[in-house]
Amino acid sequence: MLIHHLRVLPLLVRMHVRSQMEYRGAFWLDRLAQILSYGSVFATIGILLARFDTLGGWTWPELALLFSFQLLAYSLGAAMSFVQLRDLEELVRLGTFDTLLVKPFSPWAYLVFSGLNIGYAGHVILAVPLMGWAVQSVDFAWSVWSASFLIAALLSATLLTAALITMIGATALIWVRSNHLFSIFFGFWELTRYPLNIFPGGIQTILITAVPLALTSSVPVGALLGKPIPILGDWAGPVALLAGPIWVLISIAYWRYATGKYQGAGG
Amino acid sequence: MSAYFAFARSSFHSQLAYRNEVWANIFGKLVQVFARVAIWQAAYAGIGGIVVDGVSLQQMVTYALLGGAVMGATRPERIIGEIGRSLKTGDIAVWLLKPLSYPLYLFANECGSFGYRLMTQVIPTIAFTALFYGMLPPATLFDGLMFIAFWALSFTLLFLMSALFGLIAFWLMTSFSLDWILGALLQLFSGLLIPFWFFPEPLATIARHLPFAWVVYYPNAVYLGRLSAADVWLHLGLGLAWAALFLAGVLWLWRCASTRIIVQGG
Repeated sequence: MLIHHLRVLPLLVRMHVRSQMEYRGAFWLDRLAQILSYGSVFATIGILLARFDTLGGWTWPELALLFSFQLLAYSLGAAMSFVQLRDLEELVRLGTFDTLLVKPFSPWAYLVFSGLNIGYAGHVILAVPLMGWAVQSVDFAWSVWSASFLIAALLSATLLTAALITMIGATALIWVRSNHLFSIFFGFWELTRYPLNIFPGGIQTILITAVPLALTSSVPVGALLGKPIPILGDWAGPVALLAGPIWVLISIAYWRYATGKYQGAGG
Repeated sequence: MSAYFAFARSSFHSQLAYRNEVWANIFGKLVQVFARVAIWQAAYAGIGGIVVDGVSLQQMVTYALLGGAVMGATRPERIIGEIGRSLKTGDIAVWLLKPLSYPLYLFANECGSFGYRLMTQVIPTIAFTALFYGMLPPATLFDGLMFIAFWALSFTLLFLMSALFGLIAFWLMTSFSLDWILGALLQLFSGLLIPFWFFPEPLATIARHLPFAWVVYYPNAVYLGRLSAADVWLHLGLGLAWAALFLAGVLWLWRCASTRIIVQGG
């Protein structure tokens, strides 16, 4: 069964990538627009720092590292989940999710890999050079350990992002509608471009527990740079590394629970 | 005219239908506003001052509340997305058969959505955050009244800009990038997060002359009394001129776009 899955997955990805690249001009124009959009967010933070020097004790290169880490972790995680799970609501509403259930294939794997989104290329094109610049510009002595921590934390943040998006999408299997939960997700996600310590205690707690998006940005980057992390303190590093795998297990359990509750809403 | 009123009412009611979404939106908006205030408190704390460039922290908090809640009630992506969807599905062709104006329909639709967001997001967010942070009243009665005029102008301008960008989709055949490009311009040049008095020169001078400034910066600056009475009138006139220019652009583009519609489906 597993070998059958692994053999089919590259075919699903290839088919979807071909369909996305059919209109190459439009594809790259969309990516350019996204680079401009995130670039303007980054420029806004730059203007703020040009006038105020620091934000919550973080300097401009440190915030650039935080911004690039947040964008990269999100784009890698969302490429594997966001559009696919956002569209699940519509599949449930129209009843077409039923057709996935009768395929001899995992519905989650089919959804994710048949819709693997290469549209996040724009995010990656912006985030990688920015991270390269930030890594060289921060006042920090890099070592093999710290570089390994950065990569492992990025992987954990990617898994955590995909797990959270999967759980939001899976809620549609129970409630039929779940896309409004994405507005809460993105509301909090925008905050994670900034250091956690600048927010009120209630928001800090939510960002570490119920909507743990701080673990995809300021917690790992703060732990790496030795910044004081609210609530977690010295545990920030280990928690950031473990968060991804643990939330993946929680999301698997939730997906199974939601699939069990699914009754079909379409005709 | 009653048809357009019906579109606005229908848009208002359709969004009220899902109560979970109403609560999710209020919650999302509150988080966003709290975060903006937190950013300014952290920025001011960083340099240890309560007045920077003649602007007090309380004024900046008020600016953040106004920018986040009041000015965030218009959603350009909804307008651009609506045009993109109509183009993709072919529904746009149906509008040519109706004795109605498509741009006016879009405006009525957005008015209904604006009313919904005003009642379910703006008023609750402002009431709650004003109690929490102590929002400043308008600098003078004149500034308060003129703020309402600037707010109406901001809504109209943002609608016209969005419709103009949306109509460009007739030539590009995709609305996705247009939505992101307008978002990028607004993010940087509307003063949504950072008012222009904190911008470095000559970027501040450029930003003050771009039409995006009338979306957030000028209404908020008028509310806080940062413009003299003569400047308020001057900028209201300039804003109306921008709106007239965008209106002409929308009408012209719609006329050009109407001739480009090719119905491929049956």
